[in-house]
Amino acid sequence: MSKITSAIGGFFGSIGRFFADFGKAFAKGDIFVKLSLIWWGAGFIARKQIVKGIILTVLEVGIILFSIFFAPQYVSKFGTLGTVKFEQVLDQTTWQLVPNDYDHSFLILLFSLFCFVVWLVAFIITIRCVVNAYKLQLRAQSGKHVNTFLDDCKDYLDSKFHVTLLTLPIIGIVLFTVIPILLLIFVAFTNYDQWHMPPGELFTWVGFQNFKSLFTSGGLTVSFSYAFGRILGWTLVWAFFATFSTYFGGILMSLLLNSKKTVVPKLWRLLLVITIAVPQFVSLLLVRYFFADNGIVNTLCARVGLTALLRGWGLINTTYIPFLTAPIWAHVTIILINIWIGVPYQMLIATGILMNLPSDQLESARIDGANKFQVFRYITMPYMFQVTAPTLVTDFVKNINNFNVIFLLTDGMYFTTNQMLANSQAKETDLLITWLFNLTQNYYNYKMAAVIGIVVFIICAVFTLIAFNFLISGDKEGVYN
Amino acid sequence: MKSHHRLGGSRVGHNILIAILCVIWLIPIVWLVCMSFSASDSMYVASFFPKEWSISHYVRLFQPDTVNQFPRWFMNTFKIAIFNCIIQTCFVLMVAYATSFGKFKARKPLMNVAVMLNLFPGVLTMIAVYFLLREFGLTNSHFGLLLVYSASSGLGYLICKGFFDTVPRALCEAARIDGCNEARIFTRIVIPTSRPIIVYTIINAFLAPWMDFVFAKMILNAGISSQYTVAVGLYAMLEKSLINSYFTIFCCGGILVSVPIAILFFIMQKFYVEGVTAGSVKG
Repeated sequence: MSKITSAIGGFFGSIGRFFADFGKAFAKGDIFVKLSLIWWGAGFIARKQIVKGIILTVLEVGIILFSIFFAPQYVSKFGTLGTVKFEQVLDQTTWQLVPNDYDHSFLILLFSLFCFVVWLVAFIITIRCVVNAYKLQLRAQSGKHVNTFLDDCKDYLDSKFHVTLLTLPIIGIVLFTVIPILLLIFVAFTNYDQWHMPPGELFTWVGFQNFKSLFTSGGLTVSFSYAFGRILGWTLVWAFFATFSTYFGGILMSLLLNSKKTVVPKLWRLLLVITIAVPQFVSLLLVRYFFADNGIVNTLCARVGLTALLRGWGLINTTYIPFLTAPIWAHVTIILINIWIGVPYQMLIATGILMNLPSDQLESARIDGANKFQVFRYITMPYMFQVTAPTLVTDFVKNINNFNVIFLLTDGMYFTTNQMLANSQAKETDLLITWLFNLTQNYYNYKMAAVIGIVVFIICAVFTLIAFNFLISGDKEGVYN
Repeated sequence: MKSHHRLGGSRVGHNILIAILCVIWLIPIVWLVCMSFSASDSMYVASFFPKEWSISHYVRLFQPDTVNQFPRWFMNTFKIAIFNCIIQTCFVLMVAYATSFGKFKARKPLMNVAVMLNLFPGVLTMIAVYFLLREFGLTNSHFGLLLVYSASSGLGYLICKGFFDTVPRALCEAARIDGCNEARIFTRIVIPTSRPIIVYTIINAFLAPWMDFVFAKMILNAGISSQYTVAVGLYAMLEKSLINSYFTIFCCGGILVSVPIAILFFIMQKFYVEGVTAGSVKG
């Protein structure tokens, strides 16, 4: 657990240092440094960094104008998410129906969040300004060279090059990943669903009610907790089988292909890799019609008498084999199809790793008289596991969220007969991720989707943290540097 | 002599086993090819190999109608893929260089945040991104879709960083002594010595829009066929009411889009392994 604690400790430590620097700068700085707290440019203009000072001043004025003219109309309603409902009212001058000045709950939430992010950034800039102004003061007092604007620009190509590189990507990540995630977390605490859709209706805060209806039974209308339990179970079973079946399948396949006995191994490998070179939406959609109730596999099975045989054993009561249309059958078929799609990929990785397997170990084992299985069990596997343990963890998490395989194989194909599941818009083959996708796309149940999303994240995060701390030790990064 | 014979027998068996596995793995792909060249329209065929062969479906694929606009979809996807390729490659290389070579205090915390953000499933953030794009009128536009693919692509920097970590630091030190600044080291030394990973990043970025299905389906949800990417368009052909007349055309489209992707994929194949093993080094 030391890695987690050190990471958390490091995080708070750096926050602590951030404020400590500020405190020291503000206490010891001269009047211009103190002025920087309210006028960002002050400290810089005082030390003749005019351009920088002007840029910061303009930025500050922009943020102040933003806070006065844009922010209040949304942030002031953040507590209620709006109170005025959409209505058509008669315009007295034109005698036409026009919308009233209504509140749009979603925009209030979104722009409030945006304002919070802007203010947080402004807060950080303020503190940095004071700290940097103090540094400048010290440089000026000790008679050292104070950077001109040109020097600053050069710095951004040299000692501060990382700032230049990271700015755009981080803005992209904040706008398209961080803000959406925060938005989703907020939505989980509202009643945003198909009966509360802006602009026609308002939605508002409901506290932990959505979490309650996901985890406890007793909801009157839909039994989300039942569906959640079922789907979570299948998600974990799926992730387990999908990860390990392809992992071991890939290793075995790679050992088979790389054996000295194999003729033309490159050709075989090429043939196998064709499966993953075809995009999944083609191969999976194709396979699903391959295994359809009246698809080619069923036709062939009926012809050779397999269907009749299975019916004789009581395994099916239909005139076809429900590969993708009945529970259990569909579960097994999906895992098998995933082996088909996943093993060549794992085979490629395993091949690459096994090529680096220390051959002296293999030799000495062979001299000691170990048989093939013993070599596999005591030399190949431990080595493989040591190298691939992190990938195994990320693969497991990826499979928990393996949207493509499940969605492409079952959407419009599998229909549940379980009324309890159907009430919550779920089906037996859904993963949490396809369930929440379905909830948003077809039923506009954003509140529950958000809650499920948070749960998925927590499961993945906890699993990853535990796995990384117990399975993997050491940090390879330092080795090269 | 006897033992040699036995070895030969097991050798044949070994290769037959591999051949059988390959056949199993290729059956669906062969079926895809068969269906695309089949003379019959229906997907409900009685035999694996079609009775009559024809290229009529390929001809139909290139005669756009209300449902099938394959040439258009191909161009749409190609356009998005090119722009995504440029932006994503730049972002990934920039972030990877900064996190690998940079020596700044926020480096580790930033990388930890990135690990955490990567744990949020993409589909999940997409739902919220969809709200955002809708408010700004960017749904059902290729620009919106491009933003979705490229804007936060900086998060996928780990594999590239893993490669940069192996670039000898002595090289950079020498350049620094010669008076190179960081920007020159990045463009003149690190990039030229990292050709394999750059090829990998470029191909990966180019392939993303071709491989992706779910994001395109979410953003292009108005049902305007001429806007679709290949994936969404081909999926739309499989609707209940259309599948009977369009399934074989779907197979043709599937093959035509798979060929270029497969070629790029084979080029990239050898980097895959390096990528996965290097990328597993979490900071």
